[in-house]
Amino acid sequence: MKVFSSNCIFDYSWNEVSTANWRKYCPWNDKSTHVVGVDTLSRSVDPATGILRTERLITCDQSVPQWVLSLFGGSATSHVYEISYVDPIAKKVTMCSSNLTWSNVLNVQETVIYRPSLSKANSTDFNQEAKITALCGGWQKIKNKVEEASVERFSQNAKRGREGFEAVLEMSRRVFGEQREHEKRQLQS
Amino acid sequence: MAASIAPECNDIKEKYDTCFLKWYSEKYLRGKTSSNECEDLFSKYKTCLNRALKEKGIEGMVEEARRNNRESDTDFLRKE
Repeated sequence: MKVFSSNCIFDYSWNEVSTANWRKYCPWNDKSTHVVGVDTLSRSVDPATGILRTERLITCDQSVPQWVLSLFGGSATSHVYEISYVDPIAKKVTMCSSNLTWSNVLNVQETVIYRPSLSKANSTDFNQEAKITALCGGWQKIKNKVEEASVERFSQNAKRGREGFEAVLEMSRRVFGEQREHEKRQLQS
Repeated sequence: MAASIAPECNDIKEKYDTCFLKWYSEKYLRGKTSSNECEDLFSKYKTCLNRALKEKGIEGMVEEARRNNRESDTDFLRKE
């Protein structure tokens, strides 16, 4: 197993980040064009804690090399299952994702946490950790190679993910601002 | 908002997503966690989605993932 982890700070409040997070994969995010579907499977608020629990299915069109496809069969479409928890009192978003496609070859478990930043006012800390395990039988050496390549790929995608989300945050702030202006004008007239 | 895996569900999904986002930012984050004005839209969207998952033959895979991840509730569905 290999572990990939990264941290960063978004210069937006936790309320803004946790809201924009629901539309992370939208046309405003030009770095996530491989995500072709985001579907909500279930959603509920736990009456005891107020925690919002959401299950989603994320569908991607990955650019997989042709030889990989012919080797393992299947198509370039892959699915990810994501379960998330929003605690509005502790102000914490936790998202756990795992791959559904190719899960007999490679297991990727990702956990992402958004919390108000401890080091910077009105900002949000982002922590991401992924555990990557190659499951294919065979030599440890080959498994290591597969895991290393996957971590490399994951880290490239993580960088793109951050850049894309920044764009969504910026657009969200602008659109919310315009909406508020619009509502204010309507009230005045 | 992102599209659905099933194009025929896009319309109802968009209505639901818009409703949810409004509820989330205007009510849920302001402490009104119990209201559920998007329930009707969600149930229509879910009917459409579940049919599509069945047609695509991936409902079994999805159900299995849901079962396997139930444990995470013990870690995250509790007060800090």
